[in-house]
Amino acid sequence: MVVWLLVGASSASAQEKSGVKPGFTLTPGSAHIVLIRPSIQVGAQSTAGMFEPNADWTAQARDALGAALRTAERRLGNDVTDYVEPVGADAARLAEYQALFDTVAASVIEYQFFVGNRLPTKKRKDQFAWSLGPEVATLPGLAGADYALFVSTEDHFGSTGRKVLQIFAALARVPVTAGVHRGFAGLVDLRTGDLVWLNADWQMGGDVRDAAGAEKRVRQLLAGFPGKPAAAP
Amino acid sequence: MTLRRFPSIALAAAALALAAPVHAANTLIPAGQRIAVAGSVLTVQPDAEWNRLGVRPGRYAERWTRDGDQLDALTFYGGIADGKTLFREVNRKERPLPRVAATMLVTDIPILLENSYRVARGIAAMTIERVEPARFAGSDGVHFTYSYIRLDESLHRRGEAFGAIIRGRLYLITYEAPALYYYERSAPTARRVVDSARV
Repeated sequence: MVVWLLVGASSASAQEKSGVKPGFTLTPGSAHIVLIRPSIQVGAQSTAGMFEPNADWTAQARDALGAALRTAERRLGNDVTDYVEPVGADAARLAEYQALFDTVAASVIEYQFFVGNRLPTKKRKDQFAWSLGPEVATLPGLAGADYALFVSTEDHFGSTGRKVLQIFAALARVPVTAGVHRGFAGLVDLRTGDLVWLNADWQMGGDVRDAAGAEKRVRQLLAGFPGKPAAAP
Repeated sequence: MTLRRFPSIALAAAALALAAPVHAANTLIPAGQRIAVAGSVLTVQPDAEWNRLGVRPGRYAERWTRDGDQLDALTFYGGIADGKTLFREVNRKERPLPRVAATMLVTDIPILLENSYRVARGIAAMTIERVEPARFAGSDGVHFTYSYIRLDESLHRRGEAFGAIIRGRLYLITYEAPALYYYERSAPTARRVVDSARV
């Protein structure tokens, strides 16, 4: 027990979970934010650690997270609307931007939030400079919006075999994780393409397949969202 | 704290030591100084700041980045000798990496890179796009462009490389980034590093 408490405490202190572009502020009621359709992936983690997508779980998570996000949108203190899905070539462009957002978020975790591996050029005071590039604003459906909110979750639930392996590995003092629960939420300024706020973590809480878990996950994803009225939860 | 708890604490310390990812420190590459790269006689003089990653892609290689190796990566392969590989072997018996040969032609360099990527980096869809003669590090060499998608991702990436065989050894610099935004953003700075290369 002590082991897990200590491991948990250590990773929490060595790892930051959110960042804001220096000088960025968002006044409640001042901006039109478009919530890009969340990218959601749920599956199992095999004994060997391979990801096996599960369509049923992903559908359950899509419903549960969708409902939790709709509730949360009302509390964000700004005009938040859902993105109208493009079709054809534009759908492919959107998917590419979602993949780029995931890659940028993963890079922020690895090279900025994780202090031990921070890049020297990211160490300077008040440094949080990340971008998807100004072209992101040319995605259809974003005209007239000030910001785009990207949300991405990926959950690998450890199989029984993986959990058994984890127990034996722990006896041999080899770290083996069972399950991946990563989530990223980021606000992109559509005038510049710059990431102005990011909340990201490799190990988030909440089982995204049910309503209560999805509500918890959304609360974690949007924790510290800028421009939220002080009274909002 | 009671004495009884000490074994747990010791175990926790051991677990922590094992759990902490081992990273050699990333270092700052300042602008304007000529430096040797990849532990070799290949030198470059960047005109902008870069970060050198502590984790090296191979024994004879070194990687620089501005925003992380998934967003932009400038990789130097310094004087790889006859019989050696670009990366460390993953599975020498079943999936051996292609080896550099002192007798290689410059046109073999793109094929060597492509085959090395397929084995070592699990890149299934890689296309070599344009191959042309070019001067590199004071020698006759090759310039080529390529694109690829990693197995576990849907992001399209672009790359370009300059290489030459100099005194029987392979010298190569590659620059890679996502096709969206990042490739064009850092390509001019990366090309200026390549232009400054000397052996």
